[in-house]
Amino acid sequence: MTPPHGHGDTAEHDRADLLPPGCQVGGWVVTELIGSGGWSSVYAARPADGPPGGTGEARTGRSSGPSDVALKIMPTAGLAPRQARRIVESARREVELGRRAGHPRLIGLRESFVLASPDRPSLEGAIVLVMERAAGSLRELVDTGVPEADRARLIAGICEGLSHLHRSGWVHADLKPENVLLGGDGSVKLSDFGLATELTGTHGYAPPMGTLDYLPPERWRAPLGELGVRVRPTADIWALGILIHEVFASGASPFPGATPMARGAAVQEYGEGRAPLRMDHAVPPFWRALIADCLAPTHAARAPHTAESLLARITAEQQTPGAGRLRGRARAAVLATALCGVAGATLYSDAVRASSPAQSGRTGATVGTVRVFNAERGCQDRVDRDRQCSLGLAIDPAQPYTAENVVPTRVWHGDVLTADCELPDGQPIIDEEDLRSTHWFRVHLPPGSTPPAAWLPAVRTRERPALPECPHPTAVR
Amino acid sequence: MVHLPQGSGGADGGEPHGDAVTLRLGPGEVARFGRGSTTVPVELRLADPAISRLAGEIRVTDDHWQLTNHSTTHSYLVENPEGAGEYLRVPPRRVGAPIPFEFSRVVLPTRGDVTISFQVFAPDHLYLDPEAMGVPWGTSTVTAYSLDETATYFLVLVALCEPRLRDQSRVAVPTTPQIVERLRGHVTCGTLTARAVSSHIDYLAEEKLRLGVADAHEPGKGDRRNGKREEIVGLALRFGLVREEHLALLPPLAGAGGRERPAAR
Repeated sequence: MTPPHGHGDTAEHDRADLLPPGCQVGGWVVTELIGSGGWSSVYAARPADGPPGGTGEARTGRSSGPSDVALKIMPTAGLAPRQARRIVESARREVELGRRAGHPRLIGLRESFVLASPDRPSLEGAIVLVMERAAGSLRELVDTGVPEADRARLIAGICEGLSHLHRSGWVHADLKPENVLLGGDGSVKLSDFGLATELTGTHGYAPPMGTLDYLPPERWRAPLGELGVRVRPTADIWALGILIHEVFASGASPFPGATPMARGAAVQEYGEGRAPLRMDHAVPPFWRALIADCLAPTHAARAPHTAESLLARITAEQQTPGAGRLRGRARAAVLATALCGVAGATLYSDAVRASSPAQSGRTGATVGTVRVFNAERGCQDRVDRDRQCSLGLAIDPAQPYTAENVVPTRVWHGDVLTADCELPDGQPIIDEEDLRSTHWFRVHLPPGSTPPAAWLPAVRTRERPALPECPHPTAVR
Repeated sequence: MVHLPQGSGGADGGEPHGDAVTLRLGPGEVARFGRGSTTVPVELRLADPAISRLAGEIRVTDDHWQLTNHSTTHSYLVENPEGAGEYLRVPPRRVGAPIPFEFSRVVLPTRGDVTISFQVFAPDHLYLDPEAMGVPWGTSTVTAYSLDETATYFLVLVALCEPRLRDQSRVAVPTTPQIVERLRGHVTCGTLTARAVSSHIDYLAEEKLRLGVADAHEPGKGDRRNGKREEIVGLALRFGLVREEHLALLPPLAGAGGRERPAAR
């Protein structure tokens, strides 16, 4: 393990090109230095015309407002043209990816510009990327210990980001805890796409760079070609395996050694089959198996384990014990309703959604519950009930599922609805994962709604409660 | 990662007539050397009666290697051929002495005047990026193909890149005789032979940059070689391994250089 270090200690270097707080960069005012690396420095900043007083604001917690940003400044002054080209290239990758593959799990790029700074010659011509502001990085969390309850959620978030990147045809190529940023609400966002590479066919070419602890075995012997070094999505999966191990083993790599070079040597030994994979005992069995798949020694052995399949396994695992608990609670809620016979008992057994708009109005003779499933992965662990992540309910399942045929009440992933019957032959609905079904559930709407019930396409839930067949839908209207 | 071309010196490898032996070892792998016998097999045979059956072993660890001396009486020397006389003495019975050189010549004493030696290369030494100095490096992003800017191979590389760096013809990559000529005025490398220059170029291509060409290895044709040079130059410039400031490593351009205009720097 490398000794833990905060980003702060890099700030001590006496560097002329570092900006003091209060300095204006484009339309932004620097509030503090976040970190400084080889070719770039990252600052917290706020809009220049925004409310003052942000100076010195701590970047911990959620002190940063929504308008706060992170400025990544890459100086090019004083560099030979060929070195400057490397920086321009890195910025170009970030901008290109930000423009073409935006996603809630990737840090957002707001704008980029070239700095004209006559009074600071060292920053003249520097490239500035204006990015979404995060509260911290996974590295800081790993160093202090990731709370057990957050681990699966964080890892699933990283898988979502990776899965989106890979699906969009990109490889991150430098995945590590430093590059996994955390929002104030704990949301996960991948960042630093300076090495990210667009795939052409099965692989892409990245600059011959990387972080030693996260390089897969094949990279240590990889040839350098005209375009750089060949990278494939499985390189990200390897890095993910190391990262997951670090989350569970308080920052320790599964590969022994005191230095990154020593651990790199251990990776090569393992890759050549001369050493077994020895994981920390603290890693639970499910995650142990997952890490072992991520860290399969060759590209071919790793290839079946895509970010998407790993995410599905994590989700399934979370639901196995968790879903049982939820189903139990749902049943208890239904039972309570039946016993008391009180109208208006909550239909959302999932108690976290206290402000749910849709509530049960009736106690039917036979009722079941269906838990809403949103196939859009970016929406699955959001709790902010963002309109973009909401799903509609049809007025009439026999009519085309259009905007006119939807009730005003919206539902979100994880909502539990009371359903009283099932229609087997409504309009066919195909979801984002190409699941197709003509089944619909009739679900209750909050009291006072007109109509009192609406229809949920069966593809919008993974549950199949045994319900009676509904009467003909026109009867509902 | 460490490999031992052998035989080229006074030492003879196999019995019939010392063919060169090259072993390529990965981390954790071990190669034993000595006179060998049916009961004591060795990977590297050194046919000299003064050398014991099992004289020592090399173990690759991390980015370097360790030398174990199995002799009870003799010290071995590990020289750095590029280090102007730099060497280590590994005393008898020493286990796992770490060897810090990228290039080493292991010298074993014999009864005669001629010592036996073989070479070990450790091309995986890592160097920090010049831009990233003073930054905690453990978890930072680094160039995975790093070069020792004080090594002879780097000098040869700079000489290869010189015409392009000086913005001369895009196609002109110097030939081996031109490089020998260009480096003639150099303080320590002025006596490089054409063969040495070629082997430095091979080392760059195969070990340091690991050019990804599936070359038909046996017939090392002239035009084939030129392709390799061009590729080395292209990569070194494209990824900033050689930059303008490195031209200072070369001896000053004399008017008699012939190959290029005496452009003022």
